[in-house]
Amino acid sequence: MSEQIHLQSEPLDLAALLRDTEDGACGALVVFSGTVRNHHAGKAVQRLNYTAHRGLVEKVLAELEEETKAKFGVRQCRIVHREGDLEVGEDSVLVVVRSAHRGEAFAAAKYAIDTLKQRAPVWKREFYADGSVDYQDGVPLSACCHGDHGHD
Amino acid sequence: MEIRVEFYGVLQEVVGTAAAAWPLATDDCTVSQLLDELRERFPGLAAHMPRLAFAVGDQIVPRGHPLRSGDTLALLPPVSGG
Repeated sequence: MSEQIHLQSEPLDLAALLRDTEDGACGALVVFSGTVRNHHAGKAVQRLNYTAHRGLVEKVLAELEEETKAKFGVRQCRIVHREGDLEVGEDSVLVVVRSAHRGEAFAAAKYAIDTLKQRAPVWKREFYADGSVDYQDGVPLSACCHGDHGHD
Repeated sequence: MEIRVEFYGVLQEVVGTAAAAWPLATDDCTVSQLLDELRERFPGLAAHMPRLAFAVGDQIVPRGHPLRSGDTLALLPPVSGG
């Protein structure tokens, strides 16, 4: 299991993740960055706040890295999510995948971010230009998918 | 005998706090039984109950999970990370 950090309040550091995953056996690098958008459902967004269940999110994302590597045969996978206040344009999440060839790297990165959105105990609160504030409705967590990867 | 109950996401607005100490009526009280008590104290939770998940420590648990004195139970509404 990875001992690395998967949740941080400081701005995400892509350069550090690229350094950490350097691998001469890999000919493909895919990076996904989730970036704070200035609109949601027709409303202008000024900033976001992310909160998380720290212990559970560390466990879930470390498991997801290992699961993604095994499922797609990719050599490197790192996922880091941001918490706290974020301005428009800042990265909320980074997924870095390296593999021998591009096909599995693209597929693995897509799987990692899609699955994170279903499993990571993180909550987004949006602050709108009109002064209103709202938690974004999300995806219910399911007990079936944690620690039992055969059922999803 | 008591446990710590943590509220996440929108639930913090609903109950007005991030965490509360809660007495356990009996050892082996289940998550479901505790939810009934919480709903009486915080009626606003009722609308969220069907879509909640639960964790004790860092482990997701089902509603039938028995709670022990000293546990930390997290109430987890639908997630919206990424």
